[in-house]
Amino acid sequence: MPLPAVLLSAKRMSAHQFVALTLANLRMIIRDRVLHGVLGVAGVMLVLVPAFSSFSMRQSQEVAISLSLSAISLVLMVLTLLLGTSSIWRDIERRYTASIMTLPVSRVIYLLGKFAAMALFLLICAVILTAAGSLVVLLAATQYPSDLPISWGTIALAVLADLVKYLLLGGIAILLSTVSTSFFLPFFGTLAIYLAGSASQEVFEYVSGQFGQEIPALSLAAIKGTYYLLPNFAAFNFKVHAVYALQVQPGSVVFACIYAATYTGLLLILAAWSFNRRAL
Amino acid sequence: MNPISIEGLTKVYRDKKRRRVTALQGLDLQIEAGEVFGFLGPNGAGKSTTIKTLVGQIQSTAGCAKLFGIAAGDPRARRRIGYLPENPSFYDFLTAKEYLSLVGRCFGMDRSAIERESERVLELVDLHPAAKRKIQGYSKGMVQRLGLAQTLLHDPDLFILDEPMSGLDPLGRALVKQVMIDLRRRGKTIFFSTHVTADVEAVCDRVAVLVGGKLQTVNRVSELLEKGIEGYVIQLPSATAGLWSDFEARPQSDDVCEVFVPRGKFNSFMAIAGREGVEVQLIEPRRRSIEQFFLEIVRRETE
Ligand SMILES: Nc1ncnc2c1ncn2[C@@H]1O[C@H](COP(=O)(O)OP(=O)(O)O)[C@@H](O)[C@H]1O
Ligand SMILES: [Mg+2]
Repeated sequence: MPLPAVLLSAKRMSAHQFVALTLANLRMIIRDRVLHGVLGVAGVMLVLVPAFSSFSMRQSQEVAISLSLSAISLVLMVLTLLLGTSSIWRDIERRYTASIMTLPVSRVIYLLGKFAAMALFLLICAVILTAAGSLVVLLAATQYPSDLPISWGTIALAVLADLVKYLLLGGIAILLSTVSTSFFLPFFGTLAIYLAGSASQEVFEYVSGQFGQEIPALSLAAIKGTYYLLPNFAAFNFKVHAVYALQVQPGSVVFACIYAATYTGLLLILAAWSFNRRAL
Repeated sequence: MNPISIEGLTKVYRDKKRRRVTALQGLDLQIEAGEVFGFLGPNGAGKSTTIKTLVGQIQSTAGCAKLFGIAAGDPRARRRIGYLPENPSFYDFLTAKEYLSLVGRCFGMDRSAIERESERVLELVDLHPAAKRKIQGYSKGMVQRLGLAQTLLHDPDLFILDEPMSGLDPLGRALVKQVMIDLRRRGKTIFFSTHVTADVEAVCDRVAVLVGGKLQTVNRVSELLEKGIEGYVIQLPSATAGLWSDFEARPQSDDVCEVFVPRGKFNSFMAIAGREGVEVQLIEPRRRSIEQFFLEIVRRETE
């Protein structure tokens, strides 16, 4: 039998491997019971939205959009944390890497397959949750019609921006999981970076104003340096636009996309570099 | 180009307290095409360390290792090999069929080849009835069989097996040996580690003994078995017992006595037997086994 492996070009072979590993990892995710539980909770949360939003009567539609988007965002964050922080170190611990990485698969392809599977799963969840959320919003809106129109496009954009944000967060989680040997560092590290990165814009604006003149120059430089280093998660927040059907500046969407792609790309390069060094 | 070429390979680990653990010291080894090579050593000798370096799981501290002339660690070096890790663990949320399909894709096989070959290898390792069950539910022996199947899928030229018989029942061991013998017949190269000398005797062309991270000897198994002949145990009619006063003799039954003739005295024994017209009933060589050979090396090295 001729060896097909030798006949295939390196590029095509890597592409095959990437697809195969992505699908295998997607199976791992889909067959995970914990995630079924999370999605169950998500369903319950969305079902409860009309009940809560009906309390506010006149603003029922706005509250429903706001609550649905928050619920979707929360669920996507939990999923990202669960998936990202249990990725590389756990594969090493379970010795999956000893069997997969000793096929003619490079570590970069393995890492990209993991990331792609996570991204694909989050995308699927986002689509399903948005569909469910839309029904909920529609229900709330017909109960107590609002003066504002529902901008479905902006709602979709808000979820999409959230998704992109969590992919970046997932990149951080995967990077930390390449250097870790347990759940601890990736989980708490990612969470800390998420909280810091969500607040950094406000802190930056605060110290840039009046207050900034009162703190030592060195501290100010440190705060500003951290601001530029940390991912700026505030750039991905289009929730208010979705709730009040406001016009979104195309520029801010383009910026968010380029920013996320660059940042996530750098994270994955770092993760690949770190994973390459690791003993399995 | 040799399937495996190892030069001056050294590995120093850092343990949890960051102390240095030298697992492997200046290993030189050349494995030639078509041979079955046994890598024999007690637990902790550095066998797995060597193998992990070959397949790119770990990086060596010094020296170099190549597979078919490509540096170990480069994914391309693994295209022509089938590797079975020690106590393997596979994506256990997949079924054996799904897993083999993943392995086939990673080796660049097409769908029809994967379908055909996975049927073949599953049949070969007796895993066909469990092929559509998740690996999660497999016993240790079944996982080990799947590990063997997975090395055979793409019909590689070189097999690297880390303790392939461990965790298997006698049936499984016999199966692995048979597979290895068949592969040798087809001209494949096999490099496998073991701490069981009987495995070496059963299948190997050559054997290396590794103790404490250092290579002790490399020998042809046939030569060891030949050189190991210490003498002969010979059965003769009791009536001739009086002739063998120069040898160790003891009665075996009423009419048979057994004589041990050292290797160097065989000719003088035969001269007497010929002269007296003795009817020799049985001649059996007494060998120093590979086990004794191995134990002596280990004892000498650890003292
Ligand atoms: N990751 C590691 N960290 C520290 N020491 C290790 C590590 N892996 C193996 N060792 C040590 O290296 C030596 C050789 O181990 P190994 O190659 O697994 O032996 P074998 O496979 O021959 O039983 C042992 O002393 C072992 O304790
Ligand atoms: Mg071992």
